[in-house]
Amino acid sequence: MPDKRITINATRYDPEHDEQPRLQSYEIPFYDESMVVLDALNYIKSHVDGSLSYRWSCRMGICGSCGMMVNGTPKLTCNAFLRDYWPRPVMVQPLNNFPIIRDLVIDMDDFMHKLKSIKPWIIRKQEMPLGAGEHRQTNEQIDDFRQFSECINCMLCYAACPVYGLNNEFLGPAATALARRYNLDSRDQGVKQRLPVLADSEGVWECSFVGECSVVCPKGVDPAKAIQQTKLDTTMRFVLPYGTRE
Amino acid sequence: MEFESYDVLVVGGGLAGIRAAIAAVEANPRVKVGMVSKVYPMRSHTVSAEGGAAAVMTPEDSYETHAFDTIKGSDYLADQDVVEAFVREAPIEITQMEHWGCPWSRNPDGTIAVRPFGGMTTWRTVFAADKSGFHMLHTVFQTSLKYPQITRHDEAFVTKLLIEDSRCVGVVALDIRTGRFDAITAKSVILATGGLGRVYAFTTNGNICTGDGMALAYRAGVGLKDMEMVQFHPTGLPFTGILITEAVRGEGGYLLNNEGERFLKRYVPNKMELGPRDIISRAMITEFDEGRGFEGPHGKYMHLDVRHLGEEVIDRKLPFMRELGREFVGIDIVKDPIPVRPVQHYMMGGVDADISGATPILGLYAAGECANVGLNGGNRLGSNSLPECLVFGAAAGRAAAHYASSARPVTTNPVDAMLWDEAHRVEAAYLEKKGGTERIADIREEMQKDMDAGAGVFRTRDGMSRLARNLGGLRERFEKVKIEDSSRTFNTEILAAMELDFMLEVSTTIVFSALAREESRGAHARRDFPERDDAKFLKHTLAFHTNALAPRLEYRDVTITNFKPQARTY
Amino acid sequence: MSATEAQSAPRVYPWRMPVNWWTRSRHYFWYIVREFTAVPLALWLLWLLVEIRRAGDGPAHYAPHSSLAFVVFSVIVLLFSLYHSFTFLSLAGSILHFKLMDRPVSSNLIVLSQFAMWAVASGVIGFFLVWLGR
Repeated sequence: MPDKRITINATRYDPEHDEQPRLQSYEIPFYDESMVVLDALNYIKSHVDGSLSYRWSCRMGICGSCGMMVNGTPKLTCNAFLRDYWPRPVMVQPLNNFPIIRDLVIDMDDFMHKLKSIKPWIIRKQEMPLGAGEHRQTNEQIDDFRQFSECINCMLCYAACPVYGLNNEFLGPAATALARRYNLDSRDQGVKQRLPVLADSEGVWECSFVGECSVVCPKGVDPAKAIQQTKLDTTMRFVLPYGTRE
Repeated sequence: MEFESYDVLVVGGGLAGIRAAIAAVEANPRVKVGMVSKVYPMRSHTVSAEGGAAAVMTPEDSYETHAFDTIKGSDYLADQDVVEAFVREAPIEITQMEHWGCPWSRNPDGTIAVRPFGGMTTWRTVFAADKSGFHMLHTVFQTSLKYPQITRHDEAFVTKLLIEDSRCVGVVALDIRTGRFDAITAKSVILATGGLGRVYAFTTNGNICTGDGMALAYRAGVGLKDMEMVQFHPTGLPFTGILITEAVRGEGGYLLNNEGERFLKRYVPNKMELGPRDIISRAMITEFDEGRGFEGPHGKYMHLDVRHLGEEVIDRKLPFMRELGREFVGIDIVKDPIPVRPVQHYMMGGVDADISGATPILGLYAAGECANVGLNGGNRLGSNSLPECLVFGAAAGRAAAHYASSARPVTTNPVDAMLWDEAHRVEAAYLEKKGGTERIADIREEMQKDMDAGAGVFRTRDGMSRLARNLGGLRERFEKVKIEDSSRTFNTEILAAMELDFMLEVSTTIVFSALAREESRGAHARRDFPERDDAKFLKHTLAFHTNALAPRLEYRDVTITNFKPQARTY
Repeated sequence: MSATEAQSAPRVYPWRMPVNWWTRSRHYFWYIVREFTAVPLALWLLWLLVEIRRAGDGPAHYAPHSSLAFVVFSVIVLLFSLYHSFTFLSLAGSILHFKLMDRPVSSNLIVLSQFAMWAVASGVIGFFLVWLGR
């Protein structure tokens, strides 16, 4: 039985030698039907070209490290099966809309900064003492924000968003979804503190509902929904400032 | 030269590391805390933990029962004073996590719910659906962002601990992005670098679990304790090794052999699928050896069947498992049984540390999976590791902050020289090396295959001796390693080389500790010594670094308080 | 260059949005079409204002445009406007969320109610226009 092979075209960029990124082609064995793009990259690095640089860790779609553009679509490479592309070549590029540090590695400082700016922690007017036990919360109350808490910070949504690509001041999908996660948590009382960042013109109002972020999200977070809900929420708070939930 | 300097420096950004950093700041708001991690903290392997965190949370439960379950689970190798302190702290940590926003699943009355778990006589495992580690990590990481006293150095790889005048004064770290070597000085250093699963070929662990902190401490002269105690989790997916949580069995799943039999009735009749992990893994391998396993393209496996639980329970309690089954095996666990086999998962062994995380080197602490404080002994019970990270991460953070408040400041002169030496060592070994002939992956893959064969679920003297010889050969081949990436910018090849260097180091401690322990206890099972021998081996193994291949081994008595060792049956 | 000397950060390659970004995927293309339809819609409304002004001179002197080109333009604009209304109202299900008796109202129900209100409003306004036109 002849061995199957597949071609991977991967972006290479070494600022010490390259003026701009270029593509390098690798032909490797496609030795198992359950191989994913990440397996292909690992094969290249292990046996063909040790200088290929990329991020990865858990290989099970929960750490969020391995996001890259695969044939022009942002995907977790640990979950992109080669059998869906074979026998055609697979193009692997760093995530769109981010500066490239090296090869397939992008600069994510901007996201880390935005994550911090939405104050992703429980804010309370008065901390409950530990001795008083847990805040009472039902599974239904958790369902209110559960979807938005599933974000693994993989940034596929930022890579998919043309608004962020055109203007990287935009707060963006994941940061807004995480802000909404805390705003909807029954234990949190910090909606007012998150308002300035969310209601800013570079906050939710920069979004024009392309909707691509929710299409590519591997965890079903639906950040587009979070943003539109936040638009409504911030508007209601502006129009009817009294009587709205903390 | 000016160096970054901290009161407390945490190495590793997982659950234990971040918890330690927060605890240091809360103990003393004036401390400067640094956190160095080779990956962004959200990527730490904590994120993949699924099942839950055990603690005494209900009136039906008691500290004594949790302690006894843990000590019996450890096959009596646990230090009982440590266990007794742990079970008292764990519920406080669970409540603290809840206050920080962790979405623990709830009872109808809004209190935190508990589920059954392996080896636990009472329901005490708190959980956040079946993504407990994910939610816990994101909770502590996001909470840590509100403390201005914590400064993070993301994507910095620690290559060496700085020891001066018998105390730890900081680390040398490679900034991965720029290729620059930095000395980061600190009055105290807490190692929280996680496990070493990647020394094995078949493991649940992610790429980053390479035993870095253990190797760093080992080379600085700290003993590695009980390294022969490696946990094999009964239910990993074949080929990928992706973890299928014990919670599947906790919710009522059955393990079936190729005759459709719930075979555990012949091994742990009173606990069945909720027996401890070491016994169940051995049961599965025995069944495989006796021809009652399913044959597959990636080795033998058993069926883990949850069809009888129904779609509603699965979607509510095990949604991530359904997703994993669909994405990685192409099955729907509502309708199909899950193929599973034993897989390396956790390391009971680690850096010798006491109940407050202190190692024998002044100013050096360790917490989480990379440490061995004496909690888990010969076998860890499922859902004890997440609270272990919290309790001992917090303990180490407080102890380090307290120590730092009265420690002498670090003087730069010797640090200058140490940094220079280390930077040149790494450059010579990797960046400027010419004429290497061995590919990193070839050495690594052979080590992993050899470890699977020689230091797996069942061990023999011949198998381990062969493994030890092979590791010696691999170390020699590693001297001639070939580096193709000459760039300084985000060079992940030299990282892989340095990680392999660390992995070869810790692997040798595993095999030599295992060879010397001539008994079977907990997860260390020898075909040539199948019985437990309390007279000779109710002791911890301590492996110390030497210039030869083999470590120097010493033994230390186990601390027994209230629970006399008995036969361990379930 | 020494490994310990302060090294300036390596040159990251900046992101530049390609000018033809909106042709690179079907989703992006239809998004731009959707955004673009605002332009012909605005032009049509300007015409309506002009006509209203012209009609102010009284019914005897007033005849609306009847050229074929203009009718076609109006039909196209009507289709665009229906497309906008349809997408906008369909989104209501994901944007609006509220609970009735502690149970979340299903998004399908919300969307249906939006279309129902649209139909009612169209009916009412249409009736008045015809009645006033008599």
